[in-house]
Amino acid sequence: MATVAEASHKDRILASPLARRLAKQAGLDLGSLQGSGPHDRIIKRDIEAALGVGRDGASAGQAVATVPGRAFAAVPALSDEKILALYDKGAYKILPHDNMRKVIAERLTIATQTIPHFYLSVDCRLDDLMRARERMNAASPHEGPRAYKLSVNDFIIKAMALALQEVPAANATWTEGGMLRHRYSDVGVAVAVEGGLFTPIIHQAEVKSLSEISNEMRDLAKRARKRRLAPHEYQGGTTSISNLGMYGIKSFDAVINPPHATILAVGTAERRAVVVGESIAPATVMNVTLSCDHRVVDGATGAALLGTFKAFIEDPVRMLV
Amino acid sequence: MTSRDYDIVVLGAGPGGYVAAIRAAQLGFRTAIVERAHLGGICLNWGCIPTKALLRSAEIFRMCGRANEFGVTRGGKTRVDLKTLVGRSRTVAGELNTGVGFLLKKNCVDVIWGEARIVGPGKLAVRKLKKASEHTEPSAPKDALGPGDYAAQHIIVATGARPRVLPGLEPDGKLIWTYFEAMQPPAIPKSLLVIGSGAIGIEFASFYCALGADVTVVEILPEILPAEDAEIAALARKAFEKHGIKIFTDTKVVDLEKEADAVTATIEFGDGKRQTIKTERAISAVGVVGNVEGLGLEELSVTIDKETIVADGLGRTNVPGIYAIGDVAGAPMLAHKAEHEGVVCVEAIKRLNVHGLDKLRIPGCTYSDPQVASVGLTEDKAKAAGRQVRIGRFPFRANGKAFALGEREGLVKTIFDANTGELIGAHMVGAEVTELIQGFVIAMQLEATEEDLMRTVFPHPTLSEMMYESVLAAYGRAIHIPPAAGR
Ligand SMILES: Cc1cc2nc3c(=O)[nH]c(=O)nc-3n(C[C@H](O)[C@H](O)[C@H](O)COP(=O)(O)OP(=O)(O)OC[C@H]3O[C@@H](n4cnc5c(N)ncnc54)[C@H](O)[C@@H]3O)c2cc1C
Repeated sequence: MATVAEASHKDRILASPLARRLAKQAGLDLGSLQGSGPHDRIIKRDIEAALGVGRDGASAGQAVATVPGRAFAAVPALSDEKILALYDKGAYKILPHDNMRKVIAERLTIATQTIPHFYLSVDCRLDDLMRARERMNAASPHEGPRAYKLSVNDFIIKAMALALQEVPAANATWTEGGMLRHRYSDVGVAVAVEGGLFTPIIHQAEVKSLSEISNEMRDLAKRARKRRLAPHEYQGGTTSISNLGMYGIKSFDAVINPPHATILAVGTAERRAVVVGESIAPATVMNVTLSCDHRVVDGATGAALLGTFKAFIEDPVRMLV
Repeated sequence: MTSRDYDIVVLGAGPGGYVAAIRAAQLGFRTAIVERAHLGGICLNWGCIPTKALLRSAEIFRMCGRANEFGVTRGGKTRVDLKTLVGRSRTVAGELNTGVGFLLKKNCVDVIWGEARIVGPGKLAVRKLKKASEHTEPSAPKDALGPGDYAAQHIIVATGARPRVLPGLEPDGKLIWTYFEAMQPPAIPKSLLVIGSGAIGIEFASFYCALGADVTVVEILPEILPAEDAEIAALARKAFEKHGIKIFTDTKVVDLEKEADAVTATIEFGDGKRQTIKTERAISAVGVVGNVEGLGLEELSVTIDKETIVADGLGRTNVPGIYAIGDVAGAPMLAHKAEHEGVVCVEAIKRLNVHGLDKLRIPGCTYSDPQVASVGLTEDKAKAAGRQVRIGRFPFRANGKAFALGEREGLVKTIFDANTGELIGAHMVGAEVTELIQGFVIAMQLEATEEDLMRTVFPHPTLSEMMYESVLAAYGRAIHIPPAAGR
């Protein structure tokens, strides 16, 4: 992790001198901002947007520009004043929201307020997958462009992509005008970054090999942590995966990332005692929970998607055909 | 009758219109431009360019008067040959006009000759104009398309502006001039009244004064060049008065009486007292109004306010498919503003990621003697906006190159936000400052702070070193003026 942080510091952030100074004065992390100047340079306008300050006279009349509009303002349950009144002054400090935090707040509030969620949960046995993964990784060249190191998550991406192709009704997006049935499985994968998260997308994951997915994911995650993703690399997508397995989370429900209709929440792979036939045997088991947009995916469709996913994961050889 | 379909048709071939058309062609739009009088618009034919040609002659004349000072002597008296002087100005305009036609042609922009009217969404009727204007014989470029019906997905209105006419001060073309007559005088009047002290009025005042006319300027506002920083305007005023221009501010012309070969103006001072001034000629330079009439805009309910079309930062009017740029879309009425609005408008139609022009980064220049140039907030406006400021001043009389040039009058003033080091205004008066201001415009556009400007190397000896010193002075670090004087 330390190396990633170091690398991101060395990485050059394009920002105007004034933007750098304003960010420093406001204690804002430039790396968390998306620039709107030429070549995505961060300029004064972006700092002001991040700080949510009104435009000063210096830039009045410019608001009509094509900056993405903040049409939606989350309605807080309590006003800021009421919240602040609950705590002693001096018992807290206020950190200004950066752009990423605002986008997360806005989108997930929209998601929970407009998408009727329901959740389906299932256990998957990973023993075959683990064995296959070990053998595949052992076969990787040691270095060079064709080298790879598959993770469980790479299998999950691939399985989800294939399952969406088999249950096309779930590979869809709700719009008021009609249902968008997607042709490809573009799978977003949530990547935690300092101060928030990004969801870069593996496009057309159904046709990519596991090693391609693995290497692409590694590159995307690395650049996501440095906040060096191009918009097309994280916008769009038809589903997403949120994996908290590495934190030991057993199971959880994820909030759908609009405009997707599903998101798969992946828990940790753990050794458990399972009943096989009439006896109890040790096995590696992982819980996954699928959140569904009920406007798009009904219970049976969601169950079919999750069942297909489980079948791929438990018998990964099937992903090769 | 012809009928053609275009992606974009631009109405008016001034700097706003022809630049928009060329940019549209670059972006692959099928583009046409309609013009009724002259390619290049007011700017090229009756504005920016011909006035600069006239002022150049005035400058040379004045320098000839100072030739001895520089060790240059010529036999006899220096005289003005007005016919050649005006002729040169017209030739310069004509050459550039042809150049615009060439550029449009090479960019495959169709030129449609005639007067355009929007007759419905996306529909244009172009008709033949009886007479383009009193001033220009319409000269259609060779390959221009003629009158007829045309269709376009997007219509950009860039029809420019014309002189404002105040009741009682109506120009008659003989005794009371607009810029059209003022630009091609049959003779230099002995005395001249200039009504209005914006850039146009001041440039003519400076020109005629240099050529020997007895010039009086009347301005209704408290200072000349009302858009400029008050300190700079006051310095410019002093210099003009030194040249012999009489200036009345806070004063209005309430009556203008025409006689056989003179006009008598009644002027009223701020305190209500009146006085009459008799001059041979008068120039009405009280501003311009947008050419919004006869275009079919009212019928389509395009919003018009104060004689200009209301458009957003990307040139969009309230009616989809109709855009407005340049003078007809409002202040500041400057050629470079028109050009940039044209580019922004077309790029927005192309859905490139563009932002509206920041009006505070549009420089303004007056090419009088001395010149005045500025960008950003004036000191008064910065303070009114509640900004804490740091101000730097550096005078011409402390600059080596100014000495060498024999141009010791002038000032470079910079205004920084005290908290952030942002350059929020730059204002100059003196020789060649219109060529200097661009350095500060770039600095603003790139959002340089005082630190970056202090680390920038300016060549020696140049007038531009005053820009550097002015920045230093804002932070109490100027080298070539004693401490404190620059604060
Ligand atoms: C004396 C003077 C000096 C100036 N000096 C400067 C200067 O130094 N620097 C500066 O930046 N600005 C200067 N200006 C201002 C500058 O000229 C204008 O800002 C600039 O010309 C505006 O460009 P435009 O394209 O909007 O309109 P214009 O240049 O006015 O062009 C509009 C064109 O549209 C045509 N047109 C109008 N209606 C129709 C119609 N219905 N159908 C077809 N064609 C039509 C007109 O014939 C005209 O050619 C000066 C102006 C004047 C008068």
